[in-house]
Amino acid sequence: MIKLVDVVKVYKTQFYEVYALNGVNIEIKKGEFVAIMGPSGSGKSTLLNMIGCLDKPTKGEVIIDGIETSKLNDKQLTELRRDKIGFIFQQYNLIPTLTALENVELPMIFKGIRKEDRESRAKKLLKLVRIEEVADRKPMELSGGQQQRVAIARALANNPSILLCDEPTGNLDTKSGEAVMKIIKELNEKENVTVVLVTHDLSLSKYADRTIKIRDGVVDVS
Amino acid sequence: MYLELAKRNLERTKVRSALAVVGIVIGVMAIASIGIFGESLKASVLENFKDLANEVIVTPAYSKGYTEIDKNDITKLKKTSYAECVIPVKVDQLIVSYKKSKLYNTIYGMDEKDVERLFDVKDGSIKLKGSCVIGYKIAKDKNLRIGYKIRIGDKEFRIAGILKDAGQRFDINPDFAIFLSTKDFEKISDKGYKMVIVKVGNLENVNLLKEFIDKSINARKQKVNVFELKIIIDRINDVFSKINTFLMAIAAVSLLVAGVSILNIMLMSTIERTKEIGIMRAIGAYRQTILKIFLLEALILGVVGSSIGSILSILGGYVIDMLVLGSAKYVLAPSTALYVAEGFFVGITTAVLSGLYPAWKASKFEPIEALRYE
Repeated sequence: MIKLVDVVKVYKTQFYEVYALNGVNIEIKKGEFVAIMGPSGSGKSTLLNMIGCLDKPTKGEVIIDGIETSKLNDKQLTELRRDKIGFIFQQYNLIPTLTALENVELPMIFKGIRKEDRESRAKKLLKLVRIEEVADRKPMELSGGQQQRVAIARALANNPSILLCDEPTGNLDTKSGEAVMKIIKELNEKENVTVVLVTHDLSLSKYADRTIKIRDGVVDVS
Repeated sequence: MYLELAKRNLERTKVRSALAVVGIVIGVMAIASIGIFGESLKASVLENFKDLANEVIVTPAYSKGYTEIDKNDITKLKKTSYAECVIPVKVDQLIVSYKKSKLYNTIYGMDEKDVERLFDVKDGSIKLKGSCVIGYKIAKDKNLRIGYKIRIGDKEFRIAGILKDAGQRFDINPDFAIFLSTKDFEKISDKGYKMVIVKVGNLENVNLLKEFIDKSINARKQKVNVFELKIIIDRINDVFSKINTFLMAIAAVSLLVAGVSILNIMLMSTIERTKEIGIMRAIGAYRQTILKIFLLEALILGVVGSSIGSILSILGGYVIDMLVLGSAKYVLAPSTALYVAEGFFVGITTAVLSGLYPAWKASKFEPIEALRYE
């Protein structure tokens, strides 16, 4: 379960302050598929970064599976991200020097999983996202759709309970985008993975159980 | 896997990594080659003194009024177990004449077997009964040959042997010397023993012999002085070690430059890879993991550069030795291994130290800021 209580995020520049989030209260149940929508600059990505423990709120609390994240140190936050959260970015964000298989293995390497175990799991995951045939290729040799599937497989490496997707289809053509969304939806339904999807593409809301609209750093309830 | 990752990161910027390696190669080569050369130089100098290290020279304590060494004291020296051989030497300055030329020369009175033990003969043989043996330079200067008769004091002696060019020594200067048997010496001079050369079996006995002399011969009054040649060798060793350290320190500047270049390329690398660092941090890499990957990259540069540099340094040492000393026989001495190892480790340490700051900096990136970096 994900719970945000009065979350405020202020970015300070030399001359003024920007309230990216201004008192956000959200609760997302386990296994839920939630789409967060809003215009650009509305604070939706900031919100996702808060849930993903990549950024800390200025005020308020982010609670993941009952853990108050403000009380964790850097090492514990890293472990939380590694074990409970899978990230899917618009830019895929794969490591260019590693093959598809190695990219999927990476979070498991960080966790200290044995070579044989992580290799077989990475292969299984690549099969799950239906690109096992490109396991030995590097990101540069893959299409956008393939790269995003590798990214999904990597996000699933340590069996997370939460999948955070930041515009996952933003760089893909319609067909590839749909294929990627189907995989995410399948994971949500079959594996009971909680999915939080940030997008400004209205057509993606059909995959979600619920849509949270955000505008100017606050949840839009209108 | 981290090692593999580090290796691939370096391979991404092949030319840059290769240049950093070249820097380390040059630095390590400079340090180790100069180390090898310095050691060779020292070895070649010390070789001239190698026979002298176990020699102790006993002279009368002139400052206490003694001008000769007592025969009884020489007997005492001969009886100790520390002395392998004891060579008493009588010395006087006498007029030597050959045909019309006359000169004032140092005459030594020694046993025939002792002269044989200390010096090698070039022409003739070392026979002192009624004849003499002369040094290389006096023979050359005065154009003296075997069989010539020279007058020393008021007696004539036939030249039986001419010594090889021996160079300067600390006890006797043989090149300008004339050697007579002790018996013949006593016929023309009333001077006594001015010096006793004592050879000890091994170097540890030098101190024991000194203690013995202090306790027996010098027990009541200081009758003799003891001069050990080991001191000179220790000094030479010391001076050359200092010179060598200084030369290596100069060579180390090139390694310092290599270190700065590694620092530079790795700082560039951290900036170029900011986003990747962010990704790794996001998917579960600890700060230490990032630090480790960057340090491994520096380590690889160091190990590769130092390995090549170490091997080439032997070649470098060989070339310098050939050019300066005209011989490379000391290059394969055990000390070479020491300098190669030293160069190797200093090279690696420089690389890792240079990588420390960039690695630390990379590990300090906040994941979200690093991810946003374009």
